[in-house]
Amino acid sequence: MTRILGIDVGGTFTDAVLLDGGRIFTAKVTTRRGRQEESVVAAAAALGIGGVDGLAIDRFSHGTTIATNALLERKGARTAFVATAGFEHLLHLRRQTRAHLYRLGDRHPEPLVPVERSFGVRERIGPEGVLEPLDLSTLPADLGGAEAVAVCLLFAFRDPAHEEAVAAALRERFPGVHVVASHEVAPEFREYERASTTASDAYLGPVSRRYLEALAARCAEAGLPEPLVMLSSGGVATVAQAAAHPALILVSGPAGGAVGAARVARLAGVETAIAFDMGGTSTDVCWISNGRADRSRERTVGGLPIRLPTVDIHTVGAGGGSIVWRDAGGAQRAGPQSAGAEPGPACYGRGGTEATVTDANLLLGRLPEELADGLKLDRAAAERAMAGIDPRDVIAVVNAEMLRALRVVSVEQGKDPRDAALVAFGGAGPLHACELADELGMTRVLVPQAAGVLSALGLVASEERRDHVRSYVMPLADAGELPREGEADLRYKGQSFELTVPLSAPDLADGFHQAHEERYGYCDRARAIELVAIRTAEITPGPELQLTADHGRIEAVGPLRVELPGATCWVPAGWAGATDEHGTLVLERKEPLP
Amino acid sequence: MTGVPEIPVQLQVIGSQLRAIADEMNAVLIRSAYSSNIKERRDCSTALFAPDGRMVAQAESIPVHLGAMPEAVAAVLTLDPQLGELYVLNDPYTGGTHLPDITLVSRTELGFAVSRAHHADVGGMEPASLPSQSRELYQEGLILPPVRLDPGVLTVMLANMRNPDERRGDLRAQTASHHLAEARVREIVARRGRDTVLAAMDELIAYSERRVRAGIAALPDGRYEAEDVLEPVEGTLRIKVAVTIRGDELEIDFEGTSPQYAGNLNCPLSVCRSACFFVVRSLTDPDVPASGGAFAPVTVKAPLGSLVNARRPAAVVAGNTETSSRITDTLFSAFGKAIDTVPAMGQGTMNNITFGNGRFTYYETLGGGQGAGPGYDGPSAVHVTMSNTLNTPVEAFELAYPLRIERYSLRPGTGGAGRWRGGDGIVREIRVLEDCRLSVLAERRLHAPQGAQGGEPGAMGRTLLNGEPLPPKATVALSAGDVVRVETPGGGGFGRPD
Repeated sequence: MTRILGIDVGGTFTDAVLLDGGRIFTAKVTTRRGRQEESVVAAAAALGIGGVDGLAIDRFSHGTTIATNALLERKGARTAFVATAGFEHLLHLRRQTRAHLYRLGDRHPEPLVPVERSFGVRERIGPEGVLEPLDLSTLPADLGGAEAVAVCLLFAFRDPAHEEAVAAALRERFPGVHVVASHEVAPEFREYERASTTASDAYLGPVSRRYLEALAARCAEAGLPEPLVMLSSGGVATVAQAAAHPALILVSGPAGGAVGAARVARLAGVETAIAFDMGGTSTDVCWISNGRADRSRERTVGGLPIRLPTVDIHTVGAGGGSIVWRDAGGAQRAGPQSAGAEPGPACYGRGGTEATVTDANLLLGRLPEELADGLKLDRAAAERAMAGIDPRDVIAVVNAEMLRALRVVSVEQGKDPRDAALVAFGGAGPLHACELADELGMTRVLVPQAAGVLSALGLVASEERRDHVRSYVMPLADAGELPREGEADLRYKGQSFELTVPLSAPDLADGFHQAHEERYGYCDRARAIELVAIRTAEITPGPELQLTADHGRIEAVGPLRVELPGATCWVPAGWAGATDEHGTLVLERKEPLP
Repeated sequence: MTGVPEIPVQLQVIGSQLRAIADEMNAVLIRSAYSSNIKERRDCSTALFAPDGRMVAQAESIPVHLGAMPEAVAAVLTLDPQLGELYVLNDPYTGGTHLPDITLVSRTELGFAVSRAHHADVGGMEPASLPSQSRELYQEGLILPPVRLDPGVLTVMLANMRNPDERRGDLRAQTASHHLAEARVREIVARRGRDTVLAAMDELIAYSERRVRAGIAALPDGRYEAEDVLEPVEGTLRIKVAVTIRGDELEIDFEGTSPQYAGNLNCPLSVCRSACFFVVRSLTDPDVPASGGAFAPVTVKAPLGSLVNARRPAAVVAGNTETSSRITDTLFSAFGKAIDTVPAMGQGTMNNITFGNGRFTYYETLGGGQGAGPGYDGPSAVHVTMSNTLNTPVEAFELAYPLRIERYSLRPGTGGAGRWRGGDGIVREIRVLEDCRLSVLAERRLHAPQGAQGGEPGAMGRTLLNGEPLPPKATVALSAGDVVRVETPGGGGFGRPD
């Protein structure tokens, strides 16, 4: 019998899920900031894992915010940047757009490398090959005390020879300095995005390696296997792989939630869904098709583009803890200010006095007087905070925010939400899901029994994955033999956007025309197609997820509040359902909308 | 808050759905467009209008589109459009801006849907339809007064444009966004009822108006004047503005501005109004949802036949990019006399550069320094005020055109000194690999962007051909091997330097 452990370290709590022969055990401990490895061991211990007499574990996956925090809080390494001479300021030029159209004082975040540590090396490769040979004598003699250096030369996605030579020279001259070359991490065309990804990777290298090495050592001490680390792509990799390129783990935590939602949906026989993770301060949504969370080729983290495969999550700054206020135009608003975990909503009784979405849910009877974790809710405090505010209005307003997020990942991408189920999790997701489904014409809502720790469940279920990309940027007709598995980024010659088409299509060109027709409403079979990149992945499938309900069958006919082990769910009138054999509450609209 | 009526939440929620329709129209248009101008540069916008022709919600990615559509709807309304009909226009003198911006208008169950997109070519004397030397509108491309977009009109349009397949694709994308709007408005009317949706439209308009009025009321009453100049091929062009703040209303009067002239820096009134709205929005409530109400407290007066309210057949192609930038600079200067928090001027030009011969055409705009403000240095290397388009990556550029970039860097030290520094400009050096024509349309080559509150001006821009300076506007024949170097202006500083 296999025992699989998933531990997700979040900003406030560290969640652990143990899957033991189909049964799920969960634990939550407070995250120790700055010592995430201790939180991991503590969460394992809370499940009786580790130590001399602890349960032995067969597989252990880990989601971490270490890289994300280091990037957002700017606590990475002192980094230098080496580019083709004449192009030293790539990181500062960005794409020339400003931070906000109308807020003139808004600024993009500072580049990770200042101008004075941005260097040029004489060399030039063009679209047709070498234009100017590499002159290593023009490399800087002094990196300004940098611990890490990123190298991004023009056209290195096509010919990495100069970058390889520069990286080798830097490693030799500056032993101990962490060197990353762009072709090693994101060999794709468009120099700014490649440079930004490379600089982030170099910047995060030392701090991520220190953490992951400390974690591996601490796990060994505690009798845990070496963890696999969740990547932004939704797969896991070894500690060594993640430490080598930490830009790969920037969306580690949210990716686990989307993977978990996809796996729970699949167990319920649902292939098309929207993952809806509504937490205290923010909400993540992600489209799921063919039983897998959608992925994108790029994501912006902390204002910096990261050109690496990422679960395609859309985040909005509203959740259960969002504070309710009225703006200068007289509109009721919720968020982005949040009561957070401390003091929390007024009803937590920890000194919060401002009305939040959670207080409104309590007053509407959608939350119990005592939460599953034992927290008693203070109804009187909620009433005081909500004085003069109709709680139904608060729900309507926050739902309007959620709805816009759900529309961004569905209708705005040309996807019909009516074909999808809504998988609701996070503390507040199951309270709002059915009403949101109604607004989008969706008729099915799934609430997993692990709704409170779904990211950790996603870790348990994750596959091992290594993504590769090879750039072409040439006519498809001239590309020669291509791999049979994976995906191709294709476009009509002259377009600046690519579409990703599976290489398994019997005729790749035909597959592209069809995909173009589906996505954009037309195709042009006479027009030349350009192959931009080939994406492949080495995948070792994750464990088969066997989930059994850890409670008896629960039936629900709305209007009804349903208490599940990890969450409270609100079932409005017209909705009904029951838990299935995996413990997932499957709700359906039984009566047509009035 | 006293005096602000509370909005019934039901209307607020429907309003949010109406805004979502405009957003979804924009997403459909960008997703299905053919050309990079729409797809990557997002030079387009979409909107819903109420039956009486007031704008309800707009999704725009570039400020030059802000609030410039009511004229288009008014022009089409005179033709009594019916449900299911699609109207097209680009005539700057009947609802348009400049000819490359093609606008579609259609009736929905309740009101109108509008889309506007900058098309890469609409015919005329130069590829890309942005000629630097045009003297009459007729040279700038095919003129479309408001007319039903039927197959015959489409045939005429495509016959006059250089890249008909691409135009067809982009128009199809615009059409798709209208079909979407028609279906969505039908759904929401069926579900919520006509009267409720109408009430929500009214409320959205009133809501934006209240927010902007609150912002204007916070400004000190008075009359504030400023003037600035443009750099035409010959002579001088002056923009003069007087801003009068009275309670929660604003009047912007361009009396004293130069008359229209025989070049292409002229503006139709719609473009001038967009520039005014940009400044008002930035200074009052940057996050206000764009609707007719947001602009209701603002009156724009511009003498007919002047540079900022030109009459047919004045050429207007650079009005959108260059004159609109100068209008915002002049207005910021005027507001700077009312409050001490108005930022310094940014680069004040889009540095329009076109290369082309019989085989290729390439057009780009370049960012520069933004002005510094109270508490912040001006960002370097960005588009300021009316534009905000992405650059073309060096690698994409060299893969597609017989051109090579030899240098692309910041232009250090070009931001004006001050308590807060202006942003730096850009240096971009391009070697042409085959004979072609160069067309430059730039400003702030002779007059520097000014600082504010004692800050120093930013550096002027320069355009150099093989090291020799070119005038602000120029069309030149280039030989293979020639090098064009563009140095964009820096932004002004804010506050006296220490």
